[in-house]
Amino acid sequence: MDKKNYFLDEKPEKLTYGGVFRKIDDWARARSLWVVAYGTGCGSIELRPTFTSRFDAERLGMRMVGTPRQADVLIISGYLTVKTLKRVIRVYEQMQSPKYVVALGACPINGGMYYDSYNAINQLDLYLPVDVWITGCMPRPEAILAGFKRLQELIDSGRADGWKKYIENLDWYRENQRKIIKNWKMPNYNW
Amino acid sequence: MSKKEVRLFIGPQHPGVTGNMSVEVLLKGDTITWAKTHIGYLHRGFEKLMERRIYIKSFPLVCRICVPEPDTNEENFARALEELGGIDIPERAKWIRTLVLELSRLQMFIMWYGGIAGSMGLSTPVQWGIGDRDYILDLFEELTGGRIYHIYIMPGGVRKDLPEGFEERVLKVMDMIERRLPEYDEIIMENAVVQKRLKGLARIPKEWVDEMGLTGPVARACGFPYDVRKDHPYEAYPYLDFDVITEEGCDAWAMLLVRRREIDLSINLIRQIIDRMPGGEFQVPLPNVLYWRIPPGETYVKSEATRGEFGYYVVSDGSDKPRRVHVNGPSFVHGITLLERLLVGQNIADVAPIMVSLQTCPPEMER
Amino acid sequence: MEILERLRERFEVLEEKVQRDDLIFVGTTGKNLIPMLVYLKEYEGFKTLVMISCVDWIEEGKFQLSYNLWAPKQKKNIIVKVFIDRKQPNFTTIYRIWPQAEVYEREIHEMFGVNFEGNPTQGEELILEDWDDIPPMRRDFDTLKYSMEKFGERAPKSRINIRREISEQYDEWRRK
Repeated sequence: MDKKNYFLDEKPEKLTYGGVFRKIDDWARARSLWVVAYGTGCGSIELRPTFTSRFDAERLGMRMVGTPRQADVLIISGYLTVKTLKRVIRVYEQMQSPKYVVALGACPINGGMYYDSYNAINQLDLYLPVDVWITGCMPRPEAILAGFKRLQELIDSGRADGWKKYIENLDWYRENQRKIIKNWKMPNYNW
Repeated sequence: MSKKEVRLFIGPQHPGVTGNMSVEVLLKGDTITWAKTHIGYLHRGFEKLMERRIYIKSFPLVCRICVPEPDTNEENFARALEELGGIDIPERAKWIRTLVLELSRLQMFIMWYGGIAGSMGLSTPVQWGIGDRDYILDLFEELTGGRIYHIYIMPGGVRKDLPEGFEERVLKVMDMIERRLPEYDEIIMENAVVQKRLKGLARIPKEWVDEMGLTGPVARACGFPYDVRKDHPYEAYPYLDFDVITEEGCDAWAMLLVRRREIDLSINLIRQIIDRMPGGEFQVPLPNVLYWRIPPGETYVKSEATRGEFGYYVVSDGSDKPRRVHVNGPSFVHGITLLERLLVGQNIADVAPIMVSLQTCPPEMER
Repeated sequence: MEILERLRERFEVLEEKVQRDDLIFVGTTGKNLIPMLVYLKEYEGFKTLVMISCVDWIEEGKFQLSYNLWAPKQKKNIIVKVFIDRKQPNFTTIYRIWPQAEVYEREIHEMFGVNFEGNPTQGEELILEDWDDIPPMRRDFDTLKYSMEKFGERAPKSRINIRREISEQYDEWRRK
């Protein structure tokens, strides 16, 4: 197994975002949000009712997709452990820009009830740019839908620019990430 | 690893795995020759955190150990503390606890029933299963205030009494679910895809059951009548009238049949409980919980979760915090020891149905 | 209980306690442990290993290993306890008796640093990744300090200060 560095270490040279059709693009993007199916924490149990028959998020243009390459939204459903954080960064960097991060619950804000845990991170926005925070433990499906409504508004008005900040401040994010993830080269089971 | 083999990682970001875990496999063509489970993606160190918190503060923590079915954890931990602290709880509290446990088992089984079809690519039963489960979650919301995490069972009883008219609403939901079940059977049990793929899949040798300590529906699908509700009756189960469900066959189809019959059993038990619910107090007053010291001692309590035997090993040293709490979920054996051996020789497409059949639940493996 | 008498005849039993009708605790020495487990498995019907647990008694300088067995016929649990030295935590594996013991021992090695000689997968990472401190479940490991150092403060400092001021005001008010 080669120890190739799969993480993005250099900034992309040119951002293909903006231009004359930006408003039209954003309008369309806000109405078809595809969510990568990665249940990173306990919040994923409420994502199932949200995306199935009762609350039916599909009527708002949202659905789950299996691969990050086709997804627009990454949901951080609750706490993140060190081991998951590494995979989440990997998933996030595989997603195509523009991409958005939604964080559920109190745990990604300040650690929540796991503030003294040796394996759960305390503040998510040191490592990934978050666009929308949704409160609750766990957030009810209605709250998740309201959060997505807010995300749609932000995208519509061009203010959901977390992914741009991530690229602009990549060095700062990298430094924070490397503080936690000691073995930055991925081991060969890292998927 | 020879050159003809391919190393493949299934999960953690994969729609087929049951939660945030991953399986590393070696493939020869389409056949798995070696498998290894990787866990730890959800490890929060509950056992360490509980050593730092007083007993009553641990209750918001324990329900998060198994997300889809939190009540088993609360009940186990509360029962362990009552045994060590010498507290007797009133009859009505026991019956209410049993009602909550059975409702929680039922919602998990219904979600699983849709999930096993979903793991084979049938998407209609998934929508039905999760949709019908929501009726039970609404009941929980009325009873406890939370859909997923209830923190309802406390040492000394339960937090609140049943609301007025709750029993009728439970019975109404049970009638509704019972009416829906034949439709489920029609699209799952009588589906040729399900029958063809599950019959003979993941056949477990019978001698593994005792040797590895398999429990729950996995052991009962091999013909072993192991059920903690019957073997070590707790709460109100000794007064209830039921038989242990067993099937012969030892394969994924037998596990499906066991779980399908468990849904009927749960509905039956809930009706019995509501029929015979006694009156009286629903909790006994505890000593001041902020200074509650439990005498030195240790105990092991267990109960029947949907996946198997769920045990709590609690050691107290006489202070107001536990010395050690060890949570032993059934998935620890099913998901690592059994799964690694079962996957050898199977097809790559069958990994998802096998994992769903064993019902591995990552948060209880790594806590 | 009859089984306790039979155990006392054959092995060195340091302590015994009948917790419930279906739960017995037996303490023994390290030398007697494996013969006792084999005897319980082959002659007394305790066929199944439910779990292995470890307790850190830091004040006495000991680790307690608890082997929890279950008898399917008699419907009884027995927990065999053994104490080992905390400074040199070495013990023998029992994975040849029960295969699932391998994973439990691997977890205890990771969380407590107990060394099980002969365990084939010991030392592989099971739960933690790139761990850089003493094993986390030991009592002398301070998880709050580790979390603050590695993951930063729980909340930005200004917010903590506001909370501290409020609590100081509250304390003063109570003193009056």
